[in-house]
Amino acid sequence: MFIEIKGIKKHFGEGESRVDVLKGIDLELNKGEFCVLLGPSGSGKSTLLNIIGGIDSADSGYIVVDDEKIEEKSEKELTIYRRKHLGYVFQMYNLIPNLTVRENIEVGAYLSDNPLDVDELLKTLGLFEHQRKLPNQLSGGQQQRTAIGRAIVKNPAILLCDEPTGALDYNTSKEILKLIEEVNRKYGNTVIMVTHNDAIKHMADRVVRLRDGVIRSNVLNDSKVSATELDW
Amino acid sequence: MKNPLLKRLPRELKSEFSKYLVIFIFMISVIGFVSGFMVASGSMIKANEESFDKYNIEDGNFELYTKCSDELENELDDNLVELYENFYVEKETGNVDSTLRIFKNRKDVNKICVMDGELPDENGEIAIDRMYADNNDIGVGDTLVIESKGYTVSGLVSFSDYTALYSSPSDMMFDSVKFGVATVTDDDFDKLSSDKMHYCYSFTFDDEPEDETQAKEMCDDVLGIIAEHTIPVSFIPQYSNMAITMVGSDLGNDKSIITMFLYVVVLIIAFIFAITTSNTITKEAAVIGTLRASGYKKREIIVHYLTMPMIVILVSAIVGNVLGYTVFKNVAASMYYSSFSLPTYETVWNVEAFLMTTVIPVIIMFLINFVILCTKLKLSVLKFLRRDLSKSKNKKAVGLSHKLPIMHRFRLRVIMQNMPNYITIVFGVLLANVILLFGIALPEVIDNYQNEIVSNMLCEYQYVLKAPVETETESAEKFSITSLETIEGELKSESVSVYGINEDNQYVDIDFETDGVYISNALAEKFHVNEGDTLTLKESYGTKEYDFKVSGVYYYPSSIAVFMDDVVFCDTFELESGYYNGYMCDKEIFDIDEQYVATKITEDDLTKTSRQMQTSMGSLMGLLSAFGVIMFMLIIYLLSKIIIEKNAQSISMTKVLGYSNGEMSSLYILSTTLVVVLSIVLTIPLVNSIMEYLCVTMLSQYPGYLPYYVPFSVFVKMALCGIVSYGVIAFFEYRKVKKIKLDIALKNRE
Repeated sequence: MFIEIKGIKKHFGEGESRVDVLKGIDLELNKGEFCVLLGPSGSGKSTLLNIIGGIDSADSGYIVVDDEKIEEKSEKELTIYRRKHLGYVFQMYNLIPNLTVRENIEVGAYLSDNPLDVDELLKTLGLFEHQRKLPNQLSGGQQQRTAIGRAIVKNPAILLCDEPTGALDYNTSKEILKLIEEVNRKYGNTVIMVTHNDAIKHMADRVVRLRDGVIRSNVLNDSKVSATELDW
Repeated sequence: MKNPLLKRLPRELKSEFSKYLVIFIFMISVIGFVSGFMVASGSMIKANEESFDKYNIEDGNFELYTKCSDELENELDDNLVELYENFYVEKETGNVDSTLRIFKNRKDVNKICVMDGELPDENGEIAIDRMYADNNDIGVGDTLVIESKGYTVSGLVSFSDYTALYSSPSDMMFDSVKFGVATVTDDDFDKLSSDKMHYCYSFTFDDEPEDETQAKEMCDDVLGIIAEHTIPVSFIPQYSNMAITMVGSDLGNDKSIITMFLYVVVLIIAFIFAITTSNTITKEAAVIGTLRASGYKKREIIVHYLTMPMIVILVSAIVGNVLGYTVFKNVAASMYYSSFSLPTYETVWNVEAFLMTTVIPVIIMFLINFVILCTKLKLSVLKFLRRDLSKSKNKKAVGLSHKLPIMHRFRLRVIMQNMPNYITIVFGVLLANVILLFGIALPEVIDNYQNEIVSNMLCEYQYVLKAPVETETESAEKFSITSLETIEGELKSESVSVYGINEDNQYVDIDFETDGVYISNALAEKFHVNEGDTLTLKESYGTKEYDFKVSGVYYYPSSIAVFMDDVVFCDTFELESGYYNGYMCDKEIFDIDEQYVATKITEDDLTKTSRQMQTSMGSLMGLLSAFGVIMFMLIIYLLSKIIIEKNAQSISMTKVLGYSNGEMSSLYILSTTLVVVLSIVLTIPLVNSIMEYLCVTMLSQYPGYLPYYVPFSVFVKMALCGIVSYGVIAFFEYRKVKKIKLDIALKNRE
C-alpha cells in the first residue's frame, strides 16, 4: 500500500463553535492511483487533502506514505516530505506574478534533484509558445496549466489537486482534467483530487465520497473513462 | 540549478525603479556624507593628535605684566618645564576691520604650518592665518596695512596653538573674522612692539603628564611657582585653552552626532523596507503558501525576501563609501576648514568609518527585516494559502459609530489598516522636522542672541583699566571688575565677570538694598541658579572661594556676570574704599592713554560669538534644511506609495462601483494628509524640546550662554515647508490613484 490513512480525526473551534470536520477517516491508496474525493462544501475533503499534504495536522489517527508516518515528522521533515514527494495544484493558481511561465515551472524544478525536462513539459502542457509570458498575460486555463506544470515538474510521487477546475469554464476544465489524466498516465504519480463536480468521478480509479467528516462510500471505478468523454 | 526566484530581483528592481532609485540616492548620499565626514574628521583628528608632537604644541602659557625675571625663569626651568618666549602684540588692521595678534616666527614651540606661499623672509612681509585670510578675502601677495605701513602677505598659515581663533579662553566662541594671528620677521616684530607688548610665555613639561588630572596638578605647581614671584595677567593650561583643544573636542562631538544621525536614518529606511516586505508578503501570501506547500523551506523564502533590502544597503554602502572617500570627504574637509584653522592633513583609511557606515547599517537592515520576516513566516502554510495573515483569529474590527459618515469611517479604516506605515510616518516626520528645525532655527537662535546682546548692552563701551585713571568724558561711570570662576561640576569651570557697581550708575539699573548680589540671566539660566540661592565662585588663579547670596537676576544675556554694590565689592576683595578699575560709557573715551587700558569691550566683542557661528554654520544649516526636506519627502513618498499599492485592488473595485478619482483620492490620500499634517503640527512641541535639549547640550560645552529661543514664525515656516513638500508628493500619489485600472479588481477576484 502506497498511502495508508487510518482513523484521522480533525476539529476546528472549541465549545459551542466546535466543528468536527473529520470524524475518523480510513483510506488506502495504491501507487499510481487516480483518486477523486467528492463531497459537498464542509464535508472535510480539503482538510483531508491538507493533512495528507502535511500542511495541516490531524487530532488523531495517522497517515503512512511510502512506509513513512507523516505525524511523526517535525516541521522541517514535513518540508522535506513535501519537497520530495508532493506536487500541489490549487483552485486559484497562485503563480508568481513577476516570473514568466517557464520560470514559474522552474521554481518547482528547483526543488527536485531529478526534475522533468522543462521544455518537454512545456510542450506537454501546451505552453511552449507562451513560456516567456507573465501570468497576467495568460488565460485562466493557461495559468492553471502552468500551476500544474510547477507541481509536476519535480516528478512528485503524489499530486494533490484542490478543486483545480473550480475557477475555470467547461472547456478549459476539461482541458485541465485531460492534462492531469495524461500526467497520471505518463508519470505514474498518485493523484488525489478534491472536487465537488460529480462528473469527474468517471475518470478516477477510485471514488471516495465524504459527508459530514466521514467516508460515505469508497469504490473502485471499473468503467473509467477519458476526461474528454466527461460531460456535465 | 540556480534558484529561479532570483530572477524576480532584477524585475522587481525594474518595476519599482523609481522607489529603489530614490532609496539608492538617499542612502548613498547619507552614507557618502557620513563616511566622508568621518574619513575627513578621522584624518583630521589624527593630524590634530600628531600635531602636538609635530609642531611641539605648548602644555600651557602664561602672560606677565613685565618680562619674566631670571629667578622665575630659572626656577621654572629647573623644576618642571621648558620655557619659551612667545611674545606678541595686537594691532588693528588698517584696510580690514580686524585685530591681528602678531608673533615672531616660532622655531621651537607652537610651530607654524604653511598652507600657501611661505613664511616672511624679508622685512615688510607677513604670513597670516589661512582662515582669517579666507574670511576677509585676503590672498598671498595682497597688502595688509598695520600702523599705516603696508605688509605684503607672503603666506597663509596655520598656527598650531590657534587652530580655533579664540582671542581669549573666556570667549564663548572663536572669531575668525575680526581676529587673526600673524607672524612677521624679527626686525619687523621689534618695530611693531614698541608699546603694549604681551609678555606671553609658553611652556612644555619636561615629563609628559599621563592624564588631565596629572596635567592639572602639574599646572597648579607651575602657577604656584609663578605666584610666588609675581601676579600673572593670565595663566592658560593647554587643557583649558580652547584655541588648542576646541578642534579635538569638536571633531569628536561631530562624530557622535553624525553617527547617531546615520543610525536613525538607517533605522527609518530599514523600517520602510520592513513595511514594504511585510506588505509584499501579504500581497504574495498565496504564492508563499504554495511555495511552502511545494516544499520550499522557510529559510529559502526568508533569504529571497531579504535579498533586495540587503542588496540595496550593500550597494548604497559601497557606492556611498567610494563617494565618501572621494567627493564627500572634500566637502566635509572644506566645512572644517571653514570653521577651523587646521593644518594640512592626509587621508587615512578609517576602519571605524567603514564599520559605522557599512557593517552596522547592514546589520541593522538585516536584523529588522529578518525579525519581521521570521515573525510573518511563523504562520502556517495554510494561513498563507488562505491569505489569512492575522495572528489572532479573534481580532475584531474596531467599532466605528454608524453616525459617522461612511467616507469618514472609510478613511479611519484606511488609517487603522496602515497603522505601521503611519507610525513610521509620524516617527519620520518627527526626525525630519528635528533636522529641518535645526537648519531653520539655529540661524534664528543666533540672530536672536545677537539682537538680545545688542539691545541689552550695559553701555556702548566698557573700559577695563590696568590702573585707575581719571577721565573728563561726560557720561563715563566708574566701576570695578574682576574675574572669578565657577566651581567645576556638571559643567566645566567657567570665567565669571564680577562687577562692582555704584548705586547711582546710570548703565546698570540695580537697587542693591541688601548685601546680596545680582547675577546675569545668562549665569542664572546656564548654571540653574535662582534668587535666594548661594553662589560659590573661586579665584581664577588661586584656591580662595567666595559665597554670594543671590538677591536677584539682572537681564544681561551677553555675559556670565555677577553684579554687586561697589562698597561690597571692595570689602569682598579687600580693596581700598573708592577703588575702581573701569569705565562704562555710551561714547568712546579718548582722554585715557592706551597703555592704561587693559581691555575695551564694544558691541563687536560681544557679538563675535554670533558672528562666528553664522560664518561657520551658515553652509551647514542650508544643507541640513535641504536634507530635512528631502528626508521628509522620501519617507512620505515611500510609505504613501505602499498604502496605495496595498489598496490597489480596493481602489479599483471602488472605482468599478462608480467612485471618481477625486473621491478615491479623498479616501486614500486624505488619510495620509491627515496623518502627515497632524504629525507636523502635533510633534512641534516634542521637536522643540528635542531641539532645545540638543542646543543646550551642544552649547553648554562652550563658555558663555546662548539662550534657546525660537520665534513662533520658525515653526510656521517649518510646518509650511513640510506641508508644501507633502503637497508635491500628494500630487504624484494622486496620479498613481488615477492610473489604477478597473481590471485589477476583475482580474484578481480571488
